[in-house]
Amino acid sequence: MTTADRTETGFTEVELDLPVRYMDRSRAYYLTLGYGNPYRWAQHRDVPFTRITKPVSESRVALVSTASPYNPEAGDQGPWAPYNANAKFTNVYSMPVDPPPDVRISHVGYDRKHTSAEDINSYFPLARLQEAEREGRIGKLNERFYGVPTLRSQRLTNERDAPAVLEMCRADGIEAAILVAT
Amino acid sequence: MSLVARALEAAGIPTVMLGCARDIVEQAGVPRFLFSDFPLGNSCGKPFEPEMQRDIARMALDLLESARAPRTTVQTPFRWAEDAAWKRDFYRLDMTPDQIAKAKAEFDGQKAILNEKLQGG
Repeated sequence: MTTADRTETGFTEVELDLPVRYMDRSRAYYLTLGYGNPYRWAQHRDVPFTRITKPVSESRVALVSTASPYNPEAGDQGPWAPYNANAKFTNVYSMPVDPPPDVRISHVGYDRKHTSAEDINSYFPLARLQEAEREGRIGKLNERFYGVPTLRSQRLTNERDAPAVLEMCRADGIEAAILVAT
Repeated sequence: MSLVARALEAAGIPTVMLGCARDIVEQAGVPRFLFSDFPLGNSCGKPFEPEMQRDIARMALDLLESARAPRTTVQTPFRWAEDAAWKRDFYRLDMTPDQIAKAKAEFDGQKAILNEKLQGG
């Protein structure tokens, strides 16, 4: 391989067809900024599994999102907003899906150069799931969705937030869940 | 979000997760993962492309039913753009000392805001 095959970032075009290595890149970024103790992402050997027992077309399905309800007090929430920690929420919430909520993602680290968050459907698939419900592909889309905070704390997620979402799912009789990471 | 998927699944509720960060989600280990090789922020499809968004929603629902074991990843067939500019830009780390100082101040400031929120709430 010659240097001519490589881009300025050290990758060949073929390597750029592979999924982005977010953890490697993030570590390199924080080291560049001078932070010595980079974030460690969750790592598990074992993964739970529950086989679905009835068709989705007969199931009550919930949407779970990291998006944040628009708050006029919390500064620029986009589209095109820079990262905005003021727009973060710190506890699990639920909101009705009707009327459709105005939820944003300015509080999370998405790709601001190539993404604008102009179309809510690119990160919050409510309209697409409502279509699937009308077509009969989903038995019943739950009347409320659940919002999960992103706080860089696995302890809070495991000990506080995941149990809170589970409790809401049980209260609503949820039979399958669609979770959207940002 | 992977941790929430794991908790629901362990309690008997089947889950499917949509996302763009394959390495992070697969290291955490989730039951069913629908991966799109897009810039972060587009887990449900490209903006203003409802047909693609519909296909991705359908693939997620299909995956709920088709997975037979945990760690089932399905990749959607879509490409963000013919050119890989978004990945080249993302990997670029050639920052000037001024840019580094600015980025560090910004990060510390945002972190302080979050910590304040956590203390308060």
